[in-house]
Order: sequence, then C-alpha cells, then structure tokens
Amino acid sequence: MRRSLRLTAAAAALGLTITACGSTASEVSADGGGLGTAENPVSIRVIANDAFAKQWQDQLVPEFNKKYPNIKVSVDGVPYNDQLPKTMLELTGPTPTYDVVLGDDSWIPQLAKTGGLMDLKADVSKWTDAGYDWDDFNPTPLAAGQWDGKQYTVPVRSNLLLMFYNKKLYKKAGVQEPTAETTWEQYFADAKKLVQDTDGDGKVDAWATGTYFTKDPLTPTIWQTVLNSNGVALLDDDLKVAFGNEAGVKALQTHVDLLKYAPPGASTYQFNEPLEAFRQGRTATMFMWGSVYKGTAVDEASTTLKPEDVGLTTLPAGSAGPGAHRGIWSAGIAKKTRHPAAAWTWLQWVTSKEGEQFTGSAFGTFPARNSTLNGTPAAEWAAPVYEALKAGYAAVEKNKMWRPRLPEADAVQQILALQTSRAMSGQATAEQAVDEAAKEITELLKSKGYPQ
Amino acid sequence: MSVSTRTHRAGAGKAPARGSGPRAARRFRLGEPGTAWLFMTPALVLLAGMLLYPIFYTLWVSFSDFDLALFEPVGWVGWKNYEMVLRDPGFLESLKVTGIYLVVALPLQMILGFAIAFLLNVEWRGRGVLRALFLIPMVVAPVVAGGVWRMLLDPLWGVVNYTLGLVGIGPVEWIGDPTLAMVSVILIDTWRWTPFVVLIAAAGIMALPGDVYEAAKSDGAGRWQTLWRITLPLLVPVMAAAFVVRWLGAVKMFDIALAATRGGPGNATNVVNLYIYEKGFRSLEFGSASSMATIVLIITVVLTYFLFSISRRLENRW
Repeated sequence: MRRSLRLTAAAAALGLTITACGSTASEVSADGGGLGTAENPVSIRVIANDAFAKQWQDQLVPEFNKKYPNIKVSVDGVPYNDQLPKTMLELTGPTPTYDVVLGDDSWIPQLAKTGGLMDLKADVSKWTDAGYDWDDFNPTPLAAGQWDGKQYTVPVRSNLLLMFYNKKLYKKAGVQEPTAETTWEQYFADAKKLVQDTDGDGKVDAWATGTYFTKDPLTPTIWQTVLNSNGVALLDDDLKVAFGNEAGVKALQTHVDLLKYAPPGASTYQFNEPLEAFRQGRTATMFMWGSVYKGTAVDEASTTLKPEDVGLTTLPAGSAGPGAHRGIWSAGIAKKTRHPAAAWTWLQWVTSKEGEQFTGSAFGTFPARNSTLNGTPAAEWAAPVYEALKAGYAAVEKNKMWRPRLPEADAVQQILALQTSRAMSGQATAEQAVDEAAKEITELLKSKGYPQ
Repeated sequence: MSVSTRTHRAGAGKAPARGSGPRAARRFRLGEPGTAWLFMTPALVLLAGMLLYPIFYTLWVSFSDFDLALFEPVGWVGWKNYEMVLRDPGFLESLKVTGIYLVVALPLQMILGFAIAFLLNVEWRGRGVLRALFLIPMVVAPVVAGGVWRMLLDPLWGVVNYTLGLVGIGPVEWIGDPTLAMVSVILIDTWRWTPFVVLIAAAGIMALPGDVYEAAKSDGAGRWQTLWRITLPLLVPVMAAAFVVRWLGAVKMFDIALAATRGGPGNATNVVNLYIYEKGFRSLEFGSASSMATIVLIITVVLTYFLFSISRRLENRW
C-alpha cells in the first residue's frame, strides 16, 4: 500500500514537472506587459540576421532608447542559413525566447503558417500609435509581410535586386551607360566590350559581370528576374509550375551566358565575391541587392569606389519591362510574447518615418515608406538611389517579381538552386535543368497537397 | 569489491550491537549486480537521453508526417518517406559521392599518415617543430578550414592559382569544375585529417619491440625485408584501429563540403550528410531527412561491423 502511494506521488510529481515544462507562457496582462518604468524596465529580445544584428544593437537600439528608455532591447544575430529553422522552432516552442522575429521575404508564409505570429493590424492594434501611418508604406515592400489576407510582418530592411554599374569602366570601354530601357540583347552586346585590359599590360583585368552563380537559394533569383521581366511567372495562380517551357530555358540560359563575361572562378560566386570584385573595380556591372550601395559607393573603409563612380538601375529589360526582384526583410511579433506592447512599440519606431530616416542615414537601409522615398533623402548620395528604388518597386509590382508565396518557398528555392548549379557547371543543359526543376517542384507541391 | 558488499558485511557484523536487527541489514543488501546497476544508472540515463532518445525520435519522425505548423511529427505514414527517399535521385547520387570520397580519401590519408610517421620517427634536426606544426590542421575548425581553402583556391585572388600561374598553369577552377571540386574537398579533408593518422601511427611505431629488430638484424635482414616482414605486420593492428576511427569520422563528414563547395557544383560534392542537412534544415523536409538519416545509420552500422571483423581477423593473423 505504502509502495503504491509512493509510486503515485512520484508519478504525480513527474506529471506536474512535465506539465510545467510544457506549459505555454503566462497570460499577458491587459496593458500588454507595459512599456516599463525607470525602476522596472521591460526587456525584449529580437532574432535578426547576423549581417546587421550588431549594427542594430550598437546604433539603432541606443537611438530608440532616447525616446523609450525603459524598453531594453537585445538583438541576437543568426547566420542566414540557420535563421529560418531557428525561428520556426522559436515560434512553435512552448516557451518564448524572442519577442520580435525577422524573416526574409520568402519565409513569411512559412512562419505565418505556424500560427506563431501576431496579425499586426488586429492583434496589437490597441497599442498602435495614432500617428503610425500604414497607408504611407509603398505597397511593394508592405506586401512581403502579408499572407492569407493578414499583415504578419512590417518591412524593416527593404531591398531589391538591382544592377550596379561602374561608370569609369563603361567610359573606358567606350560603352554607353545602361538605363531602365537597356535590353538583355544590348547588355550582352556591351558585355563583350566590357571585358577589357584597363592598364595596358596585355592581360584582361576587368570583366563585365558579377553576380550569384554558385549553388545557393538566392542564385536562381537572377534568372527568375529574367523570366519575370519576360512576363512569365515561376508558378501560376493555381500554384502549378509555369516555367517548364521555352521561356524558362531562355531565362536560365541568359543567366548561364553571363558567366562568359564574368571573372575567372565566378561560378563559385555567392554574395561576398561579386561584391568584392565590383568594389575593387574588377567588374563593370553587378546584379546585387541594392542595400549594399552605401558599402559599395560611399563607405571608404569597404570600397575603392566613390558615389560618382557607381550607377544604379533596374536589371536589363525583357519583353514585359525592366527587371528587379523583391527581397524585403520584415519583422513580426511572436504570439507567445509576454510583452506585445513593448515589442510593437519597438517595431513601430523602427518602421516609422523617424526610424527609417535614421537607418537610411546610418546604415544605408532602403526605405519602405513613400514619404521617405519622395522626401528629402537621408544623405546626398541617396537621391539617385531612391529613384532607382522607386523604379524597381514599380517593376516588381508590375511583373510580380518575387519568390513563390507559399510555405514551401524555401524548398522550391533549394530545388532551383541545385538545378541552376548543374546548368552553370555544365553538368546539364539549361533545358535539362529546367525540366528537372519543373518535375521536382511539381512532385514537391503534389506531396504537400497542392493540386497539380 | 563494491560499496554495497562492504556495507552489508559491516552492517552484518555490527547489527546486534546497534540493536537495529536483521531487517535493517537486509535493507542495504543490494548485492554486486545491484550496486553495479546503481552506479551505472546516471550514465545510462544520460546515454538514453543523449543518444537513444534522438535515435528513436529520428525513427519516429521518419515514419511520420512532420507538421511544420506545430513543428512536430503527426500521423503515421508507414514507409511513405522511405519510398520517396529511395526514389530520390539526389539522395542516391549523394550516396555515390560519399562512396567516391571515402574510397579515395581514406586510403590516401592512411598511406600519407603512415609515411609521414615513418619520416618523423627517424632522427633528424627540426622534426620536433614539424611534428608540432602537423597538429595545426587538426585544431582548425572544419568550417574555417573549408572557408580558408576556398579563398586559397580562388582562381582570381587565391595563392594556389597565383603560384601555378608563375609556371604557366591555370587559372584552374578548383571549386567551379565538378571533378576538381571533389579533388579539392578530398585535398582539404586530407590536409585536415592526415595529422591524426600520423599521431596514431607514430605512437604505434614507437611502441614496436626493439628486440625483434635486433634479432632480424642479427639474422641479416635488409631494410625492405624488415619493413615488409616485421614492421608492417606488427603495425597491422594499429593500422586497422586508425582506419576504423578515421572511417567513423569520415562517414559523417559534411562541414568541409558545406564551407568549401556547398555540395556543388550541382551534386558533385554533395556528400550524403550534407544532403540530409540541406533536406532537413534548409528545405525543412524533416520526414524525408529522418528516413535518409536512418538508412545511412543502418548502412554505417553494417559496414562498421564488417570493418571490425576484418580488423579482428588481421590482428589474429599476425
């Protein structure tokens, strides 16, 4: 009898322990955890990409604390490749570690599908500042945070794939600078002249192109942009593969052909390598995320170029218009946070007109608000950049230039990355790679229950 | 031998004097097996938690549909994931790539490792410094090694191509060419792991019995005869042990490939563990990734069992 009592007690204790471990966060108070006081400040944690987490912690947080001194913000940086699974675990886990989560453009449907993100226009509306102007956001970056009719995240680092060009190398080659009207045919004609010997020693030391070529989920965004600028989507409205045709092959072949005019070893180019090559004056053009502009043309510590050397425009045009590709980092609030008021206050400030002005001037971050885009730029160099950005936003909106908006987007990009790499290295022709990618993506979507 | 035994004996001797009676003495009588289990329990609990639980969880996931919204396995799907995996050309190709890597890299590292160990065993000036330098690759994190070698092998900026260029070779696409990419991964892996084989081999060589060599010398054996008839047979157990340990390390290699080539170009260097990692943690296909991991675990266990059998036979033969 005594033994069974002991067993029962032990089982009850274990059960209670397990229940305690598995319980969700405690109930949020009516004031959303408040905004803290000098005696009892509120602490929130943000999971961000390691490319800019330190900048945020060192400069953005102190700026925020000038207005909200009682909200302590910790920003943790995570490598890009680890960030999505870590955030997924965070949103689905029982105990919240992070109050604010950041996601790349294509991750938002997947993160939203966990049910772990708040709808920013409904769940936290009671803490929304009266002056917070949703309508001021440009619809292109704002759409990156929407899924299934709800606004789960808000843009914190707007970005577009754009074409950088080195004006000196264009002049040296005697080639007219590109514009939004430059077509791919014209670009390739110019590219031949842009592979040149600039110092007269008889050896080629400058090439035409630098961009993503290696096996990476972001590499296919280049030929996706070509595809979109010809008016063809990756997936149609019924989420069926729409690129397994001549248009898809032509787009991928365009990307493969760029390699002919790139520096030796460019087939391994990811993010850093083309950036370095361009910053050191080795490539005349670079298809890259616009947000690197400040580090490429302004910051003397990281570049040999000056703002007057660097031009920025949309990618060469296809039959449907110029090219660009949306890549917005946006941030949302974890549903399990115990401090939604403080988390939303932080996010509102970062994405406010004031916050955008600060991140624009301090980090060169691109704005998402029309008032910032059309107003006085944060710095002198920003004026032509914002013009290119506006043209890019328009191109993106017109031809739906973004990665698939579905929870399996990352898996789709993985398939495209592999097949793109096969085509780049000559292991497959563009046609074989496109066929294989179309087949694999169809199978993937079918296995996930999408009618194919 | 055990604490409980001593307690029992002491207790038995003192029980009447303390007046606690035979019942109290029985309470502490665990016996030798009981004591053994008592002491082993913490280790077993740790082992179960750290090793068995992940294995069983992986098995469970491999037979389930993994719900990304809940981030946990839901619903039994039987062999569905395994069927998909066995039809996946990428997985089968990654097994082939792993096989090529193992077949080339392991013998290369064994031969180089033992050859260098022999050289280091000979008295010559500066060998101590070289021996210390040999340890450096082992302490470099594999991801760092992959990244640094990627820079060294870069056709435009890398020192390897610069050097080759001085004698009119190149630029060579070490990472961009599918065949050379595999050569590069094997090169980096060999640079990193040969010192480990050198360490084991050097220890084995130093432990060889001197009297056998003296006997061989007095019998008039030459250098080659001594090497082939005495040194190598005596080193067989060391070689077998080194091979098995290296095999277990090599079979799980993916970090160098991830840092240096990302498994590319195409699938040229996509070793199976990298493929599983990408499938699980990039594509978030946890069901498929778990099935692949289970298949690889089974293959590894079977092959390791055979390697151990061969190793035992070789040890018994000599």
